Amino acid sequence: MLTARVKVGNPSGLHARPAATFVKAAAAFRSQITIENLTSGSAPANAKSLLAVLGCGISRGHRIRIVVDGEDEAAALESLESLARGGFGELADR
Amino acid sequence: MRRSRLISGTPGAPGIAVGPAWHYRAAVPAAPAAGAGRGDGKSAKKPGTKEAVAAIETAVAGAVAQLESLAGSLSAAGRADEAGIFEAQALMASDPALLDAALARARGGETAELAVRAATETAASTIAALPDELLASRAADVRDVGARIVRILAGEDVAPPERPSIAVADDLPPSVAAAIPPGLLLGIAQESGSTTSHTVILARALGIPAVVGATGLVEASTDAITLAIDGEAGTVAVDPDLPQLAYLAERAKHLDSRRQAAAALRVRPAATSDGHRIVLLANIGGPDEASRALQAGAEGIGLFRTEFLYMKRQTAPSEDDQVEPYRRVFATFGPDRPVVIRLADIGGDKALPYLDLPAEANPAMGVRAIRLGATHSDLLAAQLRAIWRAAGLAGVIPRVMAPMVATLADVELLRELRDEARAAVAESGHPLPERMITGVMIEIPSAAILAAEIARRVDFFSIGTNDLTQYTLAADRSNPALAHLQDALHPAVLRLVAGVIEGAAGAGIPTAVCGELAGDPAGALVLAGLGITELSADAGSLDDVRAALAGVTKGQLDELGRRSLAAAGATAVRAMAGELLRPRAGTGRA
Repeated sequence: MLTARVKVGNPSGLHARPAATFVKAAAAFRSQITIENLTSGSAPANAKSLLAVLGCGISRGHRIRIVVDGEDEAAALESLESLARGGFGELADR
Repeated sequence: MRRSRLISGTPGAPGIAVGPAWHYRAAVPAAPAAGAGRGDGKSAKKPGTKEAVAAIETAVAGAVAQLESLAGSLSAAGRADEAGIFEAQALMASDPALLDAALARARGGETAELAVRAATETAASTIAALPDELLASRAADVRDVGARIVRILAGEDVAPPERPSIAVADDLPPSVAAAIPPGLLLGIAQESGSTTSHTVILARALGIPAVVGATGLVEASTDAITLAIDGEAGTVAVDPDLPQLAYLAERAKHLDSRRQAAAALRVRPAATSDGHRIVLLANIGGPDEASRALQAGAEGIGLFRTEFLYMKRQTAPSEDDQVEPYRRVFATFGPDRPVVIRLADIGGDKALPYLDLPAEANPAMGVRAIRLGATHSDLLAAQLRAIWRAAGLAGVIPRVMAPMVATLADVELLRELRDEARAAVAESGHPLPERMITGVMIEIPSAAILAAEIARRVDFFSIGTNDLTQYTLAADRSNPALAHLQDALHPAVLRLVAGVIEGAAGAGIPTAVCGELAGDPAGALVLAGLGITELSADAGSLDDVRAALAGVTKGQLDELGRRSLAAAGATAVRAMAGELLRPRAGTGRA
């Protein structure tokens, strides 16, 4: 089991589209993957469910924890953590 | 004679529309209480359960297919933002948690419809209860998805209006709004819903008016013959009388002339009132945005961000992947209007799985953009080869700029990569343009300080004011506690800009600005006052900037430029620019 903590930096938090990007990425792995909102203290949610991820209420500036457990956990964590650090595919205006 | 009635709501999307009402009602009438449903289900359990499970699985698959196809057609029509809404809805429809919950209820004896309704309502109410308003408003999407699945279960489909109409609903689902053929939807009026709802965003994208929060509307308009909605005032007139119609016609004329005035300015190149020309270009983030930039009167593209090619994927885009998107934008603007492609600004805070970079404590100052040239030169080389090929296909001379240039060595690296890419493309036999106009972004103070030296080695400069400000004032752009240090109009930044213009002029090359400051009317005036002659901003800001420039003389700009350099701070500079903006009503956000 591997975990990563990330502070969410994209402007509107994990709203529908960035959450969808995250869920699609998570669904590509076999590992069990959960995401939880450390700031609000949400329960761990299935990272492959968009509804569950939205339900974590992750806003900009919130800290999240991603937990992966399974055969491809290393690759999954690396991919999801870099996605989270990169603003979930949402580009800040540069 | 019918009694007219005026209902006040909240402005959603601007514009005026008059037409018949088309009532949308959720396909399934008010559900019986959940408890009653379960009770009914138990008695029907034996024959129904298996069918219910199968029906849910089929209907969910159908909803996913519908939503994916809707997203696909919107995306093909260049409406990527709206497409994203339905992509997310497709993901909700195929959500394992939703399906499991619905199937569990069906196995427990509920009818398929009730099971789906209850499962989506549970998910929707969790989201609706979130404190973040933007997230909470997504509950409407969940309910929309649920209603779509239920409509499929019930074998119902929403029949679109037969003639151009104003849609009336308690809360019009975005999928229904998007499914109405263009031309048949004149406007949207609804009792509830928020101004950030996807239906309202869709209305703005379609250019039709929308009013939300019009309490009592559905009942009041049940038998209405005509509705008139004013999307700016946020009102709905039910069966308007003649004076109301005359007033609205007058307002529509006023709005129209305002639009025409802006459009009239668009056909002329931007200039001050005494004819000093400023080239207005647009920033785009993908080929789909190019035509919107043209419509907004952009004379070209001053910043074509290419990160879209690199995000949301597990492997780096190949040379072949990139040729077509670049060629499309070149073809849209042709040989006479510039398109400046910015080499990928990735790495740093935009870490990507295939870059395999170690985590950085301070990614804004880390290994990104041209700095990847040392370790990931294949990435930049592939991009440059694709640009050479795309320009050869489109028959244009390409313009390319590198972000995050800090030193003369960075410039040398850029030129080497460019020439190697050209040689490789020549060897493969693809048609080639004769040269590549090569520039750098000035966004790091060292590059601004070295402007005169760098200018002798490149063809143009483009100043990125956002990063230049963050690095000059050492204030992290993403840290709201430092907002007061993030205004690019700070005289320290402006002095660097003035030095860059001077260095460029010494080598005879032009300086453009493509940061957010260029799209801010106050910022545009100050930059023009410092001697910038090319401004590149998001297409939506160009009208405001054009109007601001048309309201001043070259002499006023020059004086503003001089005074801004000596000002005490950004606030003082804003006040000076504001004096020039204030006499012109409606020039916008300054």
